[in-house]
Amino acid sequence: MNKLGIPGQIVPLAIIGVVVIAAFIAARMLFVPDTFGEYGHYRASAVEEIASQEIVYAGHEACNDCHDDIFETKQESKHRDVSCEACHGPAADHIEAPDEFTPTAPRGRGYCPLCHGYNPSRPSGFPQILPKTHNPGKACMTCHDPHSPVLPHAPEDCSACHRDIANVKQVSHHATLSCRTCHDVPDEHLIQPKFVRAEKPANRERCGQCHDRDSDSPREIPRINIETHGERNLCWECHYPHYPEVGK
Amino acid sequence: MENLVTTMAGNFGGITGYIYPNEYELHWQLLIVIYPYLTGLVAGAFILASLERLFRVNELQPVYRLSLLTALSFMIVAPLPLLAHLGHPERSFEMFLTPHVQSAMAMFGFVYGWYLMVVLLLEIWLDYRRDIVLFGREKKGISKYFYKFLSLGFSDISDKSLLFDDKLGRFITIIGIPSAFLLHGYVGFIFGSVKANPWWGSVLMPIVFLFSAIVSGIALMILVYMVSSLFRWKQMKMACLNKLAEFLIYAMIVDFSLELLDFIHRLYQSEESISILSDMISSRLFVSLIVTQILLGTILPLVSLISARFGKFPDELKRMLYFIAAILVQVGIFSTRWNVVIGGQLFSKSLRGLTFYKIELFGLEGLLITIALLILPLVILYVLVKVLPPWSDVVADQTQSQTQPN
Repeated sequence: MNKLGIPGQIVPLAIIGVVVIAAFIAARMLFVPDTFGEYGHYRASAVEEIASQEIVYAGHEACNDCHDDIFETKQESKHRDVSCEACHGPAADHIEAPDEFTPTAPRGRGYCPLCHGYNPSRPSGFPQILPKTHNPGKACMTCHDPHSPVLPHAPEDCSACHRDIANVKQVSHHATLSCRTCHDVPDEHLIQPKFVRAEKPANRERCGQCHDRDSDSPREIPRINIETHGERNLCWECHYPHYPEVGK
Repeated sequence: MENLVTTMAGNFGGITGYIYPNEYELHWQLLIVIYPYLTGLVAGAFILASLERLFRVNELQPVYRLSLLTALSFMIVAPLPLLAHLGHPERSFEMFLTPHVQSAMAMFGFVYGWYLMVVLLLEIWLDYRRDIVLFGREKKGISKYFYKFLSLGFSDISDKSLLFDDKLGRFITIIGIPSAFLLHGYVGFIFGSVKANPWWGSVLMPIVFLFSAIVSGIALMILVYMVSSLFRWKQMKMACLNKLAEFLIYAMIVDFSLELLDFIHRLYQSEESISILSDMISSRLFVSLIVTQILLGTILPLVSLISARFGKFPDELKRMLYFIAAILVQVGIFSTRWNVVIGGQLFSKSLRGLTFYKIELFGLEGLLITIALLILPLVILYVLVKVLPPWSDVVADQTQSQTQPN
């Protein structure tokens, strides 16, 4: 007992208690923002801070004023509920000064899979692809129009019997090619497939129609010198035409 | 590509029926399993210590202080899985500064703070105060100042002063028991109040948690007492072990009965969730619930304990049976926590599908971190035991040295 009649061990414990409570009060005074709790269990000034942020999005109605043709196409497509700025990025600056600021347009393969890459949590029926195997290296826009994303219908003329090849080909760079572009298929093959065979390309010029450096095919198609590339081999002896490799 | 497809096929093969998109991945994983497990051990060990203190169960005297230190060691580690799980532990202090009284989860810090600061630390300090003062007088060098610091500058160990320690300690124990109930009941309350989840939402949940906590705490103390005695080359007191086993048997019977009651109640109610829960028990949780929790973790140790306690066996065999039973009880209680935490997330809220859970090895929620967090309390306990020896023979030595003239 001390002079006040309080047991001695109470004194250090009381001091610790007071220190803890004082530290709690001091920490509250220091760290709790002034406007905390004004409206609810959050910092009231956060609302003003958010409201004072610069507006960077214009809203899709603004796009409609100038790009009404694209807007109307999109309105009739599966992407009608996707705002223009979801793909093209914030465009408020573009509305203010159309010539100075141009919105971006994602042309690579990285963007579309954000929504269309395979993910088990997406609703069934939602178009999804495996980006690694779906037409690797090719920009999505080559086959799909983002403003009217109708699924491209790959030629299926031989798929009734050759479904396994058709499945592979339709996600390859050769998806849009008809089988007859490369194969000579006699009509009789459709009636007696075992007796009348479809022919594989027997020369290099067949592939050279698109891949020779002098051909008139679109620019993104890989080119070689048909005279010197691969010497005397046929193209399909090294390359698999139903799923041609990319970048090798 | 083959790897990708194989991995995906393997993963999605675990999902059956229909699940919502946000249920594919479990949000509460292994760390949340060990959190109630650790707090249960704290509450259990403390309640055991309180039995000795309040009701003067003298047989338990050898484990009284050991229980307090064990409770403290596990208490220090108890919030770590939560902090690791949150990913931003530096933000946790905000919860203390701006408490939200309507959020049970946000009150954790206060429940924890109360129990650690006001109950455990205070009770241990009061109980050890005499020893601390004596150590402060005997030791040399830094140790001397360390114990003087621990004594908080108060070195009166007269009979009157020690009597006051005892009275105050007893009062704190009286507060401590409801606090221990509050701590672990609170963990059960968190799960029990999730009314959208039929596996969790039950008023029995806090009570079941509490009794399973007592079971795990007593079993832990059997293990700690036996292992520490072995390492110290000291004879175990069979009276103490028998009493511990007795309490464990009683607690297990109450705990098992409550769980059975909960199970029967669910079956009798047969709410719309009963079908998916039955599917879950018979598939995903079969091993962890039926085999590990009920057979290995409850029935087998219960039979072993009852036969060892009340059968006529030699002491060596009794000790071995107690030891095995205590380990099995730990496995069983861990499975209980697993079944509650993981089980509650394995079925879809659509009540039409089941997802799956695979433990990671590395990573913040992985197996290695979990093992480290389960070992850490034992390391802390080792240090605490070195600093504050709970053994009565050490205290006796001190008393002897105190009475000898210098």
